[in-house]
Amino acid sequence: MRRVLLVWLLALTALTACGDGRTPLVLYSPHGRDLLALVETEFEAANPDLNVHWLDMGSQEIHDRVRSEAANPQADVWFGGPDTIFARGVVDGLLAPYRPAWAEHVPATSRTGADYYFGVYRAVPILFYNADVVDESEVPTDWDDLLDERWRDRIIIREPLASGTMRTAFGMILARSVAETGDIERGLDWLRRLDAQTREYVQNPALLFEKLIRREGHVTIWELTDALLQQQRGVPLDYRFPSSGTPVIDDAIGLVAGARHPEAAKRFIDWIGGREATLLVARQVFRLPARDDLTPEELPEWAREAVESIVPAEVDWQLIAERGSKWMARWDREVRGKG
Amino acid sequence: MSERRPAASRRVGFGLVLLLSWLVGYPLMLTFLEALGIGSGFTLEYFAEFVGRVDEWGALWRSVWISAASVVLSALIGVPLAFVFERSEFPGRKVLGALVALPVALPPLVGVIAFLFLYGESGFVSRAVQGLLGLSEPPWRLQGPGAILLVHAYSMYVYFYLFVRAGLARLDVSMQEAAAMLGAGPVRTMFKVTLPLLRPALTGAALLAFMTSLASFSAPYIFGGGFRVMTTQIVFSKLNGEVAMSQVETVVLALVALAGLWALVRLDRGRIEVVGGVRGVAPSRTALRGRWARGSATAVGWGLALVLLLPHLTLILISLVPRATWTIELLPPVLDLGNYRELLAAPERLRPIVNSLWMATVATLGAVALGLAAARSSIRSGGRLGAALEVLLAVPWAVPGTVFAIALATAFSVDAPMAGRFVLVGTPWILPLAYLVRSLPVTGRGALAGLRQLDSSLEEAAASLGAGRWRTLRRVTVPLLKPALAAAASLAFITALGDFVTSIVLYTYDTRPISIEILSSLRLQDTGVAAVYGVLLMAVSAGAFLLWGREEKA
Repeated sequence: MRRVLLVWLLALTALTACGDGRTPLVLYSPHGRDLLALVETEFEAANPDLNVHWLDMGSQEIHDRVRSEAANPQADVWFGGPDTIFARGVVDGLLAPYRPAWAEHVPATSRTGADYYFGVYRAVPILFYNADVVDESEVPTDWDDLLDERWRDRIIIREPLASGTMRTAFGMILARSVAETGDIERGLDWLRRLDAQTREYVQNPALLFEKLIRREGHVTIWELTDALLQQQRGVPLDYRFPSSGTPVIDDAIGLVAGARHPEAAKRFIDWIGGREATLLVARQVFRLPARDDLTPEELPEWAREAVESIVPAEVDWQLIAERGSKWMARWDREVRGKG
Repeated sequence: MSERRPAASRRVGFGLVLLLSWLVGYPLMLTFLEALGIGSGFTLEYFAEFVGRVDEWGALWRSVWISAASVVLSALIGVPLAFVFERSEFPGRKVLGALVALPVALPPLVGVIAFLFLYGESGFVSRAVQGLLGLSEPPWRLQGPGAILLVHAYSMYVYFYLFVRAGLARLDVSMQEAAAMLGAGPVRTMFKVTLPLLRPALTGAALLAFMTSLASFSAPYIFGGGFRVMTTQIVFSKLNGEVAMSQVETVVLALVALAGLWALVRLDRGRIEVVGGVRGVAPSRTALRGRWARGSATAVGWGLALVLLLPHLTLILISLVPRATWTIELLPPVLDLGNYRELLAAPERLRPIVNSLWMATVATLGAVALGLAAARSSIRSGGRLGAALEVLLAVPWAVPGTVFAIALATAFSVDAPMAGRFVLVGTPWILPLAYLVRSLPVTGRGALAGLRQLDSSLEEAAASLGAGRWRTLRRVTVPLLKPALAAAASLAFITALGDFVTSIVLYTYDTRPISIEILSSLRLQDTGVAAVYGVLLMAVSAGAFLLWGREEKA
């Protein structure tokens, strides 16, 4: 027994001790394996001295985790999520200023973070459905369509508290209500009606797709990139851009305050927003670039089409960044399961 | 020995009390103080907000009633099973008796996922029922309190089953015979004699089931939806940035858990312990007579085992399904070993397995050593010191994992060595430490029980023959305690290996354990790979479980 234990411990020590001498670079990101694996391979090929480690989680979960670890930061780069969440991160002192080489090539709207964060991609909320069960004639084309009687119990939604996309979509509804009536009550009412239609809130995007594919729900609100990735896999899912406008999200990147490998992190940030990496990511894993110096010919076809069809909604981003958390807390208490 | 060196043993006792208070009590106290705003200005604001919010009371109430209902349901399954397997003899009894305990080898998160694929809307069972009855909609939805209770009952009846079986085996048959001779019928004997005698086993199991369901996180997290209990409420408050609120919720849940512990312990006190004392003669098993009775018992037994093993089988099946090949068919159309190969091909993906193994090993060894030291000191010192040690050993058991994780994260994210606080958050040490603390009740209990049964004359003999303390411990005490310690160690190891609640709060990239990798694989639509991790976890847990069984027999 004692010998078994000893061998066991030695083997474990040997296994944990192995490393290859490269500098680790830790990314916290909601971007998913498709993008992260691609970026890892390409960036490591260009930087043989660095070893990219990534943890994939919801964008709000990144904020929570970076905040919990503030005394001993584990991440070097906070890569992805709506810039409204990054704005909260700045307030909490979780980001360090760094102005990447490509800062001048993104529009002013992607540079609102005063050097703490910059938009790299555009995330676009869409209406996403299973084309095998939703007839062409009844496809929802705008937000209000989701409240139609025919969708009762056929909508599933990704857990909104954890997801930057859902927080932004709901935030837009509530910010509109503020702009038109002075408070969020009407918006909450709209969300309550959506809640009444909702069959289930699911804990992660993968479960959401799984349930859509397996027809447990027929329609959802989600994001363009994942819709395109799913289609590439050959599943019968399709999408529409909401006709009254959709909140085009600045999907940002920033350097974590107190990062353990700040130089490596800066190299990564410079690289990822560069022309070459931006185009690579757009072509292979469907990220709409924030850079405005790319010609339509350089962009893949899907991106040209998207740019033509998207109706950007007018959104008070600052209001969402400031009030978002309070709003979502109220949604959680007063709307979820109450509609 | 305690007579010879009272001062030394008291010093050791005090040292252990201090160490355990620092590990167990201090983080909880700090969380409590932070919830009150101590350090940044005293405030009852968040407590007041908590009291004023209907949803918080709702979550608290749901936590309590779900736990009470889980206790009742698991007792209803576990107790009859224990009677059947302990009292009657039928073909396959031994094998089945072991299989029935297997839900223990299914870690919480893995079990929940298996249930999803089995009884979820598009799970095997639901689709089969839907097809058989020709329904256009799935027959049920695995959501809300029903789903949570199903998972709880499945995973917690084992406590009743194991405890009551052990209790029955220790039961002195003469008591029942006496009742029968005095004219009591079988029903009366059952309620007036047998069940009261089993009381310690029943309260022990009830306590364990109540605490486990109060702390349960995976099931309400995946199936809860809008049905919020305290554990999920804490995590969502923290996620939404309401840190102070999550601390208040943490404190409230800890208080409820401690109140539950207190109530159950009180309930159990003052009863005459009949089972302890001299070991009686266990009643012999009734062999089922007649071909029909034996046949039906066997059929029911195997059918039951199959139902209980379905989640394990589901997991194995899912681990063989290649990505994105299974949509609306009843059974997966393609099966191969691709997911296993994918895992073996990428060393990075093996890392979580290595992590979980070393962290669980270290935590278990630490918990056994500390548990043994504290238990020994508690028995030797006796009095208040001994009682204090016993309480400290039991506290982590009553405190839900989420609470402990948040408390540890609070206490060890500040660098103040003079106040006993160090930055451990983000280091590889915080998770093994958390596992260790959470395993203390198991190893401490095991050591206490073992030591109490130990004949102290053996230790005294060793001492009088000139063996020093250390030698006595190594050559006499530990070998004698081996069965008890091995059982506790394997239970501690299984718990640490499959832990999800504490891990999700405290993991880092370098220490991410299997459960976290399962969650992220699911997030990345790698259901098959997630299932492979689940199968591995299950296999190692079953291995540890078997090792325990072997030790017990030896």
